[in-house]
Order: sequence, then C-alpha cells, then structure tokens
Amino acid sequence: MALPEVHNIAQVPITSHAFSGDRSQLAVSLNSNDVQIYSRSGTDFVPTETLSEHDKLITSIDWAPNSNRIVTASQDRNAYVWQETPDPETGKLVWKPTLVLLRINRSATYVRWSPNEDKFAVASGARAISICSFDAENNWWVAKHLKKPIRSTVLSVDWHPNNVLLAAGSADMKARVFSAFIKEVDQRPAPTVWGSKLPFNTVCGEYTSPAGGWVHTVGFSPSGDVLAFASHDSSVSIVYPGGPAIYNIRMTSLPLVTLTWTSEDSIVAAGHDCRPLVFTGSEAGWQETGTLDDSKSGETSRAGAAGASSVGRLKAGAFATFRDADTRGQSSISGSSPSADTKLLTVHQNTITNARPYEIHGDQVTRVSTTGVDGILAIWDVNAVTALTARVGGIQLR
Amino acid sequence: MSQTVDIPQTIKDSLRKFRFARRNAGSAAIVIKINKQKLIMEEVEQFDNISIEELAEELPENSPRYVVLSHELKHNDGRTSFPLVLLNWAPTTSEIGMMTLHASALINFQNTADVSKVIEIRDGPEGLTKEIVNSKLA
Repeated sequence: MALPEVHNIAQVPITSHAFSGDRSQLAVSLNSNDVQIYSRSGTDFVPTETLSEHDKLITSIDWAPNSNRIVTASQDRNAYVWQETPDPETGKLVWKPTLVLLRINRSATYVRWSPNEDKFAVASGARAISICSFDAENNWWVAKHLKKPIRSTVLSVDWHPNNVLLAAGSADMKARVFSAFIKEVDQRPAPTVWGSKLPFNTVCGEYTSPAGGWVHTVGFSPSGDVLAFASHDSSVSIVYPGGPAIYNIRMTSLPLVTLTWTSEDSIVAAGHDCRPLVFTGSEAGWQETGTLDDSKSGETSRAGAAGASSVGRLKAGAFATFRDADTRGQSSISGSSPSADTKLLTVHQNTITNARPYEIHGDQVTRVSTTGVDGILAIWDVNAVTALTARVGGIQLR
Repeated sequence: MSQTVDIPQTIKDSLRKFRFARRNAGSAAIVIKINKQKLIMEEVEQFDNISIEELAEELPENSPRYVVLSHELKHNDGRTSFPLVLLNWAPTTSEIGMMTLHASALINFQNTADVSKVIEIRDGPEGLTKEIVNSKLA
C-alpha cells in the first residue's frame, strides 16, 4: 500500500489550495487575506511568496496549468487574476494582480478556471455565479451573472470539458447545470447529453437528493456526460441525464464536502469524516468501495503527554485517574495510555475541505491532494483503496 | 465649454448627412464610439434599413456606444414619420473608465447631433427592442 505523502503546512486551517501545472508550487489560503505560495524543495514545501491584495478572507484559489495564472476569490466581493510578469526594476518574475469587479453584493465562495482558461466562474453568496471573460478591447475582465433560478448561496462550481456548461451546487439544496456560453469567447458547442443550442443562463438540469440538504460540491466526469454531487444529507448522487436514474448513495457517516472524479467510473470524495472515500460504478449502479486512508498505518507513536506529568499528589496516581475519568471522560483504568490522546486515527485531524487531482496519467487521475481544517496537505495514491468493512479497528503496531 | 472628449469635424459632417438623408423604408442607425487613448469620437459604422433586434445584435455587449437612430415610426392615424432619437447604449458590464467618459461626453454629443430625444439602454440586448423604442417615442 502506498502511503500518503503528508505535509504539515500550517497550524491554521487551509481554506483552499491549488497546485501549479507542474506541481512544483502550491498556492494556499491559510484562513487569511493573503495567498501563500510554497515551492517544493526536496521533499518539503517551503514558503516563497505572499500575494497580498484582498481585504478579506480568501475563500478559493485556482491555478490555471497552461496559462500559469492564479485566480483568487474573497469575502471582499472581488476576485483578482494574478499573472507572473517580469518586474521592470529588478527583472525578477513577480505576481501582478488584476482586479476583477464581480458586481456581487455578497462574498465570493468558490472559483474555477474553465478548461480553456479563457473564462472563470465565481460562485457567490449573492445567489449568482459570475462568469468572467477578458475583453481585449477595453483591457478588462467582464463579469456576466447567472442568476435565475438560484435561490441561495452557491457553494461550488465545476466546468464541463466543452468550456460552456457549468455545474453549480447551492445552499438551496439543488445541483444545477447551466450554460455559460459567452458570445465573444466561445464557439457554438457541439450538442451534448445536456442539450444543444444553449444561450447564456439556460438551465440544462436541476437535481436534488432525496433527503435534501445543501449541495456542497459538484463534479462532471472526465467525459462530461455524468454529474456527481454530494449533499449535506450524507449522500452522494450520480446523475446520468436522459439515462436510467439518479443513483443516490446514502452513508451513515458524516457529510462529504468535496469530491473529484478520478476516472470515468470512480470518484474520490472527502468531508467531515476526515478521510477520503472512494466510490465506483457505472450506468448500472454505484457503490462506496472503500477509503484511501488506511488508518492502521496512521500515527502509531503516542508522542506526548508523558512528559507533562509532573510531581504532585493531585497530578498522579489514583487521584488523577479518577479525576480524569470523571471530569474529562478519559478512562485509563483499562491500562491504555493516560495521556490525553485526542489524535484521530486518520491522517487528517479535522474536516477535509478540498480534494483536487494531483497526478494524471492519460485519462486517469492517479494521485489526489487534500487539504483541510487541520492545516495538513496530504497526497494520496488513488489505487490504495482499503475496503471499510475489512478494516480491523484499533490495532496499534508498536 | 470644456469638453472631455473632442468631436472631430468628420463626425459632425457624418451626423449632418445622416440627419438629412432621405428615408424610404426601415430604420437607419449610425454608431459612434469614444477612443479612450486619443479622447475623440469615432464612427464605427452605419446601418441602412436595419431592424431594432438586428441592431441589438450588432452592438457590443460590454462597451458603451452612442447610436443616432432614424426610427420608422407608424402613428396610429396612419402617418409614418422618421424621428431622430439618440440611444445611449451603456451596458453595466462595461469598463468603469469608459462608462464615466461616455457619460460625461453625452450632453456635448447630444448638442452636436442636435437630437432632442434620448433613450437610455443600460441592460444590453434585452433592453433594446422595437416595442421599447416605440413606447418611448409615442
């Protein structure tokens, strides 16, 4: 089993992360107004640059692999497009920001470049999605709004490979597919399973999961013919438009907040359970196949609070044992470690908020990167799936 | 009177010619834009016998323009007249600098073109239809 590559980036939550095209650089938002750029040095990531321009928390970052531009969206209702240009004085490459006025009156929540990197979509709390394209005549980014029929904050968006269709998951419990066709930028797209002849703001489909719940994340399959979304009712739904049915997988675990397709028939999703889950299936049906986090091989050494025990009648011995059992609910009577061990068995210690494809071979994603509220970046091998039922819980390897 | 944008003599001549051209049928339009670098007005193109919907397609969605329109208006008593009307085409997605320049030069342009009626179109192609123009002129 290939172990995940784990990096402790920060002690604060990572709101969003994006790798550069060659994966040598990483842009993160550490719950702050600035973008931190890390570069790979050996096996670690070291911080190299800070991009400061936003006035409020940066909610989402996306890095376009081919044109090497970063787009950041923030709670200050703006987006910036960053381009690496040579500085006139020093000649070094610096990141130069260009403001994009999204014309929204609420925070921006999510941003993604389109496949051709000539447009980007910004989801916002203003019940609209801003589709931004560059107008060369005026040298500025123009934002057009997808408004109807969104009734609440849009939580996430995903582009279809044809650069025109956009899936959006929203807090009004619906996942929708829109046409974001911009006259000056796009050619008339070929008809797809989602429809043909689609002017801007056409709704090609509107889906919801049986028990309802905010749709946290949406994703098109690599071909674009299938849509997957995860909602707050702890379920994942896979939609085949015009096909058989919508497959809904209810889980007993906590809701998922991020998902990414790894091939035409498998999805990696993660969320409040702090471990990535794998789902596979086809038009015939979908099921959960397991997890990428084989928690047996997680942290085995119980480093820690042994050094904190100090002298004193009240801190050691029987007094401490019973006090801990009473006030803190920690039972050390059975002989397990008396140190307060709140560490989870999984690699991530808190909700995973972002899962993105890291390494792609052909049309399959072989590795996925995840970041979460615990400030950890982990890169997983997609094929290292451990079936959940086969896991023998709690064995410590010493 | 100080002006932000100059109107060259060629534009003034085009406007006069447009005004006095004999109209047989349909609506005609002349589209003028502001050149931001040189701060002068430039004629983009002229249309003869164009429908309002086609004109809406031709105009850029993200840039402001002045359109002097000679609109074929059919009165309910059977007469057909061709009033001159100035369309202030100013979509809200346009760049802010251009919008400000466009707004500041409007009064001057209106006086030069000698057109009394102005219709504001702020929301792009949806806001420019034959019904809207007719209702504003009636």
